[in-house]
Amino acid sequence: MDLAALLRALAATSRDGCFVDAWSVAATEARRLTLGTKDARTGSPHAPLALSESLAARFKIVWSDGRISRGVLDRRQIEEDAPEALAEARVSSYEDPDARLVLGPAAFPEVEVFDPRTDEIAGGSVEPLGPRLAAIRARVAAHGFRTWSGSLQAARATARVVTSEGLDVETLGTSWSWHATFDGEIGTGLSRRAQDDEASFAARLDRAVPAAIALRTDAPKRPGGLVPVLFHPDVVEELFIAALLHNLDGAAVAHGTGAFRREQFEAGAPVLREDLTLRHDPLVPLAAGAYRFTQEGLPARRVTYVSAGRLVSPLLDTKYARRLGLSPTPAPSAIDTVFLEGPAPRPYETALAEAAGGALVLGVLGVHTQDFTSGDFSMSAPQTLALGDGGRLEGRVRSTISGNLFAILRSPGLRLATFPGEHTPGILASCRLDPS
Amino acid sequence: MFLETLTSLDPVASALVERARVRGAYVIWRAQERTCARVLVRSGRVEEIATSVSSGHGIHVVDEHGGVALASRDDFHLEPALTLLDRALEAAAHAHRLGVPPAFLSGLAAERGRLEPPGLDAYARFDPSAAGRRLAELEAEIAGRAPGLTTTLALSTDVDAWRVARSDGADVAWVMPRCVLRFSASSRGAERHTVGAAISGPAPDLLDDAAKIATFLARACAAARLAAALPDAPSHPAGSFPLVIDYALAKGLAHEAFGHASEADGFRSSVLAKDGRFRSGDVVGATHVSIVDEPVAGDHAWQPYSASGVRRDRATIVDRGRLADALTDPWSAPLSGARLTGADRAESFRVAPLPRMSNIRIELQGASAAPGAFEDYGPEEVRDLLAASGVLARHPEVVFLSGYSGGQVNPSTGDFVFNCKAIYTIGPRGIALHKPAIFSGSMFGALHAIREGFGPLLLDAIGTCGKWGQSVPSSGGSHYFLVLDPAPTVRLGGR
Repeated sequence: MDLAALLRALAATSRDGCFVDAWSVAATEARRLTLGTKDARTGSPHAPLALSESLAARFKIVWSDGRISRGVLDRRQIEEDAPEALAEARVSSYEDPDARLVLGPAAFPEVEVFDPRTDEIAGGSVEPLGPRLAAIRARVAAHGFRTWSGSLQAARATARVVTSEGLDVETLGTSWSWHATFDGEIGTGLSRRAQDDEASFAARLDRAVPAAIALRTDAPKRPGGLVPVLFHPDVVEELFIAALLHNLDGAAVAHGTGAFRREQFEAGAPVLREDLTLRHDPLVPLAAGAYRFTQEGLPARRVTYVSAGRLVSPLLDTKYARRLGLSPTPAPSAIDTVFLEGPAPRPYETALAEAAGGALVLGVLGVHTQDFTSGDFSMSAPQTLALGDGGRLEGRVRSTISGNLFAILRSPGLRLATFPGEHTPGILASCRLDPS
Repeated sequence: MFLETLTSLDPVASALVERARVRGAYVIWRAQERTCARVLVRSGRVEEIATSVSSGHGIHVVDEHGGVALASRDDFHLEPALTLLDRALEAAAHAHRLGVPPAFLSGLAAERGRLEPPGLDAYARFDPSAAGRRLAELEAEIAGRAPGLTTTLALSTDVDAWRVARSDGADVAWVMPRCVLRFSASSRGAERHTVGAAISGPAPDLLDDAAKIATFLARACAAARLAAALPDAPSHPAGSFPLVIDYALAKGLAHEAFGHASEADGFRSSVLAKDGRFRSGDVVGATHVSIVDEPVAGDHAWQPYSASGVRRDRATIVDRGRLADALTDPWSAPLSGARLTGADRAESFRVAPLPRMSNIRIELQGASAAPGAFEDYGPEEVRDLLAASGVLARHPEVVFLSGYSGGQVNPSTGDFVFNCKAIYTIGPRGIALHKPAIFSGSMFGALHAIREGFGPLLLDAIGTCGKWGQSVPSSGGSHYFLVLDPAPTVRLGGR
């Protein structure tokens, strides 16, 4: 990755009598291949085989008068117009004493983030995609699905962080992701640093099929009320973990716009049930969220946010770490390195049986409309299966669900459940469910 | 001014079209240059000013066998561009081996034009530091009127310039300027609620526009008071009720319930299509209800040309209760049986355009008057409006949903949801505030349930629409208020 012109410009730029006192640059050069399928038409004009090449750099400048400039430069600015772009950045500078820290060299962990097979696909080799498409199409045909949509994607990216304090670190990584949705209803997918093998791919597809089939049949009508609800790991990630991370964000804590206050971290205040833990581990080999360093140049390391139900640490970049008088923390970049843990999870079948008379919520609509600060939720759950005796899947029951996320995560009746192939557990808890 | 770079790219455009011709291919070339800035103020101080520039081009090719591929790169140099075209053609050839069916475009008018809306010079004068100071002043003013809350103000500016050229000689360029002023307030008690408000305009000088700022302050103060009151509000029970929704929620209803299902790229599964063909002429709502989508000058979601270089038309999706137009692009129009409306948009040059909404609205024939500005209407004024028009005689208690906070739809099933900022029950026991709850249902039930409207059309409800991994600005509205009769397929979530 050639950042020479940009680095020269950083050394030479001055404006309004001020020069660049300190700086950091986080650049990413990437190559990506994507193949989509919309309504069973693979590579249609709306989801074509697409190749892209990109170079972008996020920068922070600390000027000699202490003001800060931040921004993102594209390839043209990095390679050709850096002096003009940096001079322009001075116009957008602002006072922010907490944002002045620029990191220097550090020991960076070795984390496996590169897969040669994925790299080959990202470079334009489409042959390995053929068997994946065939596997999906075979299941669509075998189970009589009306249609399917999805995508396969591979990328390689070089990430480099350079700072005025002598840090210059670079890593080459790959990413592989796919998803397939049957009948526009429910599906499955995976994001990792490496391509999954064909057997794992097929097994993941096969696990999604029974639920998709069960959704075809309506369950007998039932009244609304407080019932046992088993939340699928996708819903746990999208709703519960997303809400926790939103409120753990250092900016929200510092400004008082989240659910958790600064003093609650100092006191180790209980916010979840006493046996629940939320932590982040960016060192998991080949996880989608694995990395060696953050865009600020902070080495990757494990972080615990909530331990035994008590607040431990917010998610903190260097600015909000300084503001709160704490140490910065590497933030999650994908959900597969975030772990919600607690009491030994029930096997899937046991959890279904324990939720008898209630429902399995596979998907929800409207998560982004919820107020994560209060934790109150009221959502449509059209992909919900009613559970009969012994946890038998009785068919679809279109519902709305409502309650408070924090109340559920503190409830004595909460249990975790293992869903095969999922790293996040399902949550079994009592929840208001109103069939429509 | 903002088309300077893109209009200097004639040699690149010509060379790409010529090389495609030599290789028997058709090309749609999209070049984009986008400049954004964001100023964020919290608790009286500037917390961040960030700028970004992204530029580059995407080459969408159709080879001689109908194979389609897209290749993109973030510079405009000729040699890499020609290499990129070759890679795209190679990928299109590969596509056949993966079972990709051939695709063909409808015949298109080869339009040529340049469109830069007035007022762009305000961006050249824009001073982010001064904007930060102005935001701090506004924050202080809001805190004076609605104290005791944690507040955030953000100003976002976005100048999005595009050029699209095609093998058939079409060559259009345009600039879409957008500016949004956002506010959010969070209560400070043990239970915290956050409520937001926003206004938009085509230029950052909206900070100096007295009328716009008055509207912003009214909306922000209302949001702040709501954030303070919501922690003590009860939840509303679930069920079907007589509903009153404001124009922003009506935009959500039009957008989520009908707009997405009328996007023709999804007609093989949409409930508004059968066997891939739009169900034009089908009755889907009451005869006094129409849904219209079109770009509106100066609006947040304005886009005069499609991402394929076709002029964007007004689409009357529902014309007095019957399906009429679909949102189509050159790829989907021939297959859908609907006329071409030039509805394709793309988030960036890197991605394939999709049929998308711009500004969508629900129009009612015979809507009643509602004097004054929308911001003049709190729940008491809405009650008076309903009482005077006889709605409360028909429904002694109605549920008033106020403020839009996003929505989602599954076009395959017609299930839609959207959320409000607050619920008020209006009835014989007075007016009571409740916590927000999801509004969900089936699109057909919702459109048939619309009974009456109040006030003039107000189309400035803004949002960001996500689809297939792409986000584009959206907007729309309706009359100030719509009344919906209870319908079993239209439900309010609840406690």
